[in-house]
Amino acid sequence: MAQVQLNVNGKAYVVDADPQMPLLWALRDLIGLTGTKYGCGIAQCGACTVHLDGKATRSCSVPLSAVGSKAVTTIEGLSPDGRHPLQLAWQEEDVPQCGYCQSGQIMNAAAFLKQNPSPTDEEITRAMTGNLCRCGTYQRIHKAIRRSLTVKP
Amino acid sequence: MNRRDFIRSSALTGGGFMLSFHITAHPALVAETETETAALGDFLQISPSGEVLFQFVKHEMGQGISTSMAQIISEELCADWEKVKVVFPLADMKKYQNDRNGGHDTGGSCTIIYQWDLLRKAGATARQMLVHAAAAQWKVAVGDCYAEKHYVIHRPSSRRLSFGELANVAARQPVPTDVTLKDQKTFDLIGKPKAARLIPAMVTGALQYGLDVQVPGMLYAVIARCPVFKGKLKRFDATQAMKVKGVKKVFTTKPIAGLQTETPFMPHDIREGVVVVADSFWAAKQGREALKIEWDEGVNAHASSEDFEKLAARRAQQRTAPTGYVGDENAVADISRVRKTLRASYVFPHQLHACMEPLNCTARVTPDGCEVWMGSQAPNLIVTEIQRVFHFREEQVKVHLFPSGGGFGRRYYPDMAIEAVFIARETGTMPVKMIWTREDDHQHNLAHLFQHMEYQAALDKDNNLYAWCEKEIRTYTWGAKYANPELPAMAYNIPNVRYDFEDMIPDELVHSSAWRGVVGHGRFFSECFVDEIAAELKVDPYTFRMALLKEEKDVYVGGEHPVSGSRLRKVLSLAAEKAGWGKTLEPGQGMGVAASPYGNSYCAVVAAVTVREGKLTIDKLTVAVDCGRVINPSGADNQIVGGLVWSLTALLYGGLPIKNGRALHTNFHQNKLMRMDECPPIEVHFIESRDERPWGIGEISSPLGVPAVLNAIFAATGKRIRKIPVTKEVLS
Ligand code: FES
Ligand code: FES
Repeated sequence: MAQVQLNVNGKAYVVDADPQMPLLWALRDLIGLTGTKYGCGIAQCGACTVHLDGKATRSCSVPLSAVGSKAVTTIEGLSPDGRHPLQLAWQEEDVPQCGYCQSGQIMNAAAFLKQNPSPTDEEITRAMTGNLCRCGTYQRIHKAIRRSLTVKP
Repeated sequence: MNRRDFIRSSALTGGGFMLSFHITAHPALVAETETETAALGDFLQISPSGEVLFQFVKHEMGQGISTSMAQIISEELCADWEKVKVVFPLADMKKYQNDRNGGHDTGGSCTIIYQWDLLRKAGATARQMLVHAAAAQWKVAVGDCYAEKHYVIHRPSSRRLSFGELANVAARQPVPTDVTLKDQKTFDLIGKPKAARLIPAMVTGALQYGLDVQVPGMLYAVIARCPVFKGKLKRFDATQAMKVKGVKKVFTTKPIAGLQTETPFMPHDIREGVVVVADSFWAAKQGREALKIEWDEGVNAHASSEDFEKLAARRAQQRTAPTGYVGDENAVADISRVRKTLRASYVFPHQLHACMEPLNCTARVTPDGCEVWMGSQAPNLIVTEIQRVFHFREEQVKVHLFPSGGGFGRRYYPDMAIEAVFIARETGTMPVKMIWTREDDHQHNLAHLFQHMEYQAALDKDNNLYAWCEKEIRTYTWGAKYANPELPAMAYNIPNVRYDFEDMIPDELVHSSAWRGVVGHGRFFSECFVDEIAAELKVDPYTFRMALLKEEKDVYVGGEHPVSGSRLRKVLSLAAEKAGWGKTLEPGQGMGVAASPYGNSYCAVVAAVTVREGKLTIDKLTVAVDCGRVINPSGADNQIVGGLVWSLTALLYGGLPIKNGRALHTNFHQNKLMRMDECPPIEVHFIESRDERPWGIGEISSPLGVPAVLNAIFAATGKRIRKIPVTKEVLS
């Protein structure tokens, strides 16, 4: 075990953990931020997506030792009031079914739109193809990302 | 029965009131008026702040019923939609009895079907009490008052009081025995698209699923289960595992047989395994990896899915007696009538549920009883099974319910709860969260049944479809041995239909279970075989179907409603029209259609595909649905689309390959699910039959994507594919 410092959603945490523990489990089990989901543990589904210094990252596959001083943003920290344009667009397009994959979808989309604020339809599809949704809400996710570009928070 | 006993009102300590449905009658009377007995328990609270809390007792797993149920109750209550909150109460077998009207039980697309009347009556009762309260306060005639958008209004004077202001007075009103439901023409919430109630919590990460529960002092557990079905534990060595930091305890689970009923609908045997308990999930998983285990792999040590399939094909050739038939059971062989017989066999292999939220359950056992935290489609089964296995009394079992990240029939089974309680009992009084990793989910799970479908069709001298013979070889008995086998093909006008069934359960390689779509998707291959018959007769498959559909038929497919040929024809023609059926296509392109009734609902799907150089592209699905009255058009559309994506995943990637008894797919890199880049546009059109009651929407489309696309592939290539998944090899 080791004392690991983490900077999550602008707050400093010290957790007592195996440095090999993936960030996902530190967030969920040690810090109590359960909005980041476990889906596969092997970087295949995207449910665990967070931002590391603004970059979309699969937290299930990043050991704590690799996080260092990077700023971690989880779905809970995406916006202070839950009114990020994507969160609003998700509501307006009535995207989720079970909702389990959606925090990962939103985090992935948010990082993508930062890099590419006016994407083509194809670029959206390509960017989102790493995120699985067993409920099959892809069509609406795509629409909501497009819509988020016009909603005012 | 005295109907005044049904709904009760009680004042709440913090103000406002709570309405409950109670079952107070003598058991004999309950049976007599079964459809009347309501089982919503404490279903509605109205507080002085005006907040309406709808106690949602069903299971929300993505099918959207927490929203549509709230819509029905809010409609009759005349509530402001924004002020209605959905809350999840504890499981309670007494309050929420599991009769056909209610209880916690969630499956078979039944919720809306059975709760429609009940919810309307419940909402109307509360509304009436508020109206009476206002009239009493104003000392005016009740008839001059009405409710609208969270207010009661006195028509002559336009005075108004909010539901919140009235809550305390309403709490003292007698519960009306006679309530007037709203005229359906005045509905302004039912039939309007409403975003799912839980979205704000979902998109901020605030919504707690079972896997997210944090119980103070909680430990974590994973189980190493035998990778081979029916295998046992021989020996294990935990020396290395115990050295992993954080690992607290290693012990074995016992095999536990599920409740045996006459029709083993609920088999959920617990496999023997080795449990690792630790202070974090990560440590428990590391500990499991460090275990040295020897398994006695048993009868399935060398079994493979390939051999299993061959065995089923051999069985299909054996003579059997019909389970059910219409007309003459031997018509297919009647050489005096039959000019030509067609035959085909189709295979629908096992499929995983792959719920996005891996299975899990948190449990705590104390000397006084046990507590579990999980998402479940059948909490009643959890309580009764925990009682049976661990000898608790009903009141000693407390179940905290959560929404689930997908259920699809898998969360109907109570095995996770039994495993977790077993572990918690061995761990003292600490709560323990047991998690199935995704690898566990892929390798030891229940799965959609295996089905081999053997079809025969006989054409008479005038080329009429004279007889249909369907033999099913499968691994799940529920619903199979009924005299009315509920075959989708029975919607068509065929004078002689025969159904034979053969059970493969003793030879099983995995545990079969319910899977979104209930009865078994293999049965819908009949929509491919119908296509084969049309092709033989050189008739357009759409025209062929339309000609085979009579107005009404006294047959039942998935429910208590006779099949309506005219409603099925309407969805077929709408889907065909919207898809542009019959238009000229490029070489390599094709369209296919599939349609089916399901209870009192009807669905038709037209698939457009392109096949070039062995590569299949699904260009578009066009769907028409008649599910009676639509409660929430947005949610309904989402369900139809989701059901088809589900179906396309099975088509492209489904199956559960097994070798040496072991599942070969361990995670999503091998067991693929459809992703956004392959997902075709899916366009859904509803035919609203407003006079009909609403019907469940979660399962009607899911069996139809496969046959529609297979028929489209035939149209594009002339190739009949009779087994899924459709791989590159099959296509080229
Ligand atoms: S849990 Fe990390 S990608 Fe699936
Ligand atoms: S909404 Fe259920 S997995 Fe995406």
